[in-house]
Amino acid sequence: MSEKVLSIENLVVHYELEAETVHAVNGISLSIGKEETLGLVGETGAGKTTAALSIMRLIQSPPGAIKSGAVVLNGRDVTGLPIRRMEAIRGKEVAMIFQDPMTSLDPVFTVGDQIAESIALHEKLSKADAMKRAEEILELVGIPRSRALEYPHQFSGGMKQRVVIAIALSCNPSLLIADEPTTALDVTIQAQVLELMKELKNKYQTAMLMITHDLGVVSEICDNVAVMYAGRIVEVGSAKDIFLHTAHPYTEGLFNSLPNINARVESLKPIPGLMPNPAELPPGCAFAPRCSYAGERCHTSKPVPRELESGHIVECLAYDDPSFQIVRRWGNG
Amino acid sequence: MIRFVIRRILFLFPVIIGATLLVYFILDLAPGDAVFALGGDQMSEEELIALRHELGLDRPFIIRYLSYMQGLFTGDLGVSLISGRSVLETYFQRLPMTLRLAFSATMVSVLLSLPLGIYSAVRKGSIQDNIAMLFSMLGLSMPNFWFGLILIIVFSLHLGWFPSSGYTGPISLVLPAFAVGTGLTANLTRMTRSSMLDVLGQDYLRTVRAKGVSERAVVNRHALKNALIPIITIIGTQLSIALGGSILTESVFAIPGVGRLMMDSINQRDAPMILGCVVLTTILTSIILLVVDLLYAMVDPRIKSQYVRRGKTS
Ligand SMILES: Nc1ncnc2c1ncn2[C@@H]1O[C@H](COP(=O)(O)OP(=O)(O)OP(=O)(O)O)[C@@H](O)[C@H]1O
Ligand SMILES: [Mg+2]
Repeated sequence: MSEKVLSIENLVVHYELEAETVHAVNGISLSIGKEETLGLVGETGAGKTTAALSIMRLIQSPPGAIKSGAVVLNGRDVTGLPIRRMEAIRGKEVAMIFQDPMTSLDPVFTVGDQIAESIALHEKLSKADAMKRAEEILELVGIPRSRALEYPHQFSGGMKQRVVIAIALSCNPSLLIADEPTTALDVTIQAQVLELMKELKNKYQTAMLMITHDLGVVSEICDNVAVMYAGRIVEVGSAKDIFLHTAHPYTEGLFNSLPNINARVESLKPIPGLMPNPAELPPGCAFAPRCSYAGERCHTSKPVPRELESGHIVECLAYDDPSFQIVRRWGNG
Repeated sequence: MIRFVIRRILFLFPVIIGATLLVYFILDLAPGDAVFALGGDQMSEEELIALRHELGLDRPFIIRYLSYMQGLFTGDLGVSLISGRSVLETYFQRLPMTLRLAFSATMVSVLLSLPLGIYSAVRKGSIQDNIAMLFSMLGLSMPNFWFGLILIIVFSLHLGWFPSSGYTGPISLVLPAFAVGTGLTANLTRMTRSSMLDVLGQDYLRTVRAKGVSERAVVNRHALKNALIPIITIIGTQLSIALGGSILTESVFAIPGVGRLMMDSINQRDAPMILGCVVLTTILTSIILLVVDLLYAMVDPRIKSQYVRRGKTS
């Protein structure tokens, strides 16, 4: 237990709006060990960003609030920490990379200043020393140190994301959260940025929570994968479990909606329907309305986590029948 | 950058030509002329004609205008038709008073509005925010001179803390500064609040928070700097307006500034004096607006690189 960098236990996060309460995260549990990378996948609105921001205690509040559960970071629960203590942890123990690099840098400070700010804050260095470190880190992410004095608008999207990565890694955090770090980038740049992240993560032995839509990214760098749907983790396991022994019908649907080079003639099979509105979740399994395996019971009672093999957990009532098997279009061995 | 400044200075010429032409034209249309302020109503017809000839008022409009402009571009603003004293000298005698009033009013409002606007934005929707917005509505809808009168009644007549009129030292500027500054404060508070609200919703502040920067520094260092452009614009505009002298406020408080000079000259149809005030105020205003533009570039690197790029290609 003590070697876990992060463990989330039964986290519940709501956005309490005037008209409704958005049940964005509904009791999720996750853990990430040292140097491990966990992929968090799921379609838009599943609650991935909300979960990630909860770890940083950066949920917009109001309307957002952590209702219950624990976020244990390097051995202590941060959900109740006074904000001053939390500020000391942000950027130092846990850092975050955001989805859109075009809007994630402050336009009126030089990139060097923005990297140095974090260093000066946490490493108690003088401004000049912090700037020197910032330049070194800039070089590390593949940007010449001379550009430290330039402003974000002078950089391309891919370069900006490198700067954001530099900021995140500047104080050598034990956990790096990356919220769809490559979705906003060109495909060729995506690969470069991903490669850079992989390289730095190995170099600094950082644990990582990688949020993505892209199963390709998952297969590329994740040790474990958690699949999120309507604020629940519906399936979690090693990358091998998820890719080769897919258990949850939703995970299956995700794979089936991917184009497959070997079966190009077959048309894609997107999951029918939409994710339910998190303000009005159905009483039973949230995926039941879209699930081709759903029985009557699925619409009325909530599934509970079930461990299929060690570490491979699925939340699906169908597995009450020991002979249940899902049919993937390809894969599954 | 230097090219930009030079271009702005060159741009001043057409502005001055336009402004003086307009003022000259209006003066020509207005009934009455300076000879009446010089006691013309007690003169005979011949004496009037002689005086008009002496002052050069009997020449055609276009000749008068051209000879004025000729003087202007050699740096000669002429002399007052009434007092016979140099226009430039008279203007600069009055200017310090207006400057003091303008700057102290601006100081008052900047010192009040920035903290108030920032606080309101951070606590959007709170009782404090609503109260601040209510007061700024009041401040906006209250005419300066009327508020000035109220201030005189309360703080000067009843409490006797400040002099009610005239200039006897900096203390005389306190009430007028508040009278002029209130409208400005109201305006600036609202602008600061809305500009801050805009910036506080931006994604990049989340990156700053994620670095572990304290909320106070997020607001005062990062958000404020980003919100500064519209705030500087308002301050600059208001300051440049105030530099023309506030006719009403200067009258209410009997402060001998540019506003009063302007009003007296208009009443006396003292054309060189009026034109001198217009030209000098235009120049002063342009300087302030130029400083504002240079400040933009200092605050926002995107604007700066625009200037630089434009300078290179043109
Ligand atoms: N500030 C907010 N106020 C109200 N509702 C919010 C807020 N932020 C998110 N939500 C809602 O919470 C739910 C989960 O959103 P979240 O951003 O966590 O999803 P996500 O999985 O990150 O989606 P995406 O893949 O699009 O980034 C959504 O229904 C969203 O509309
Ligand atoms: Mg998201």
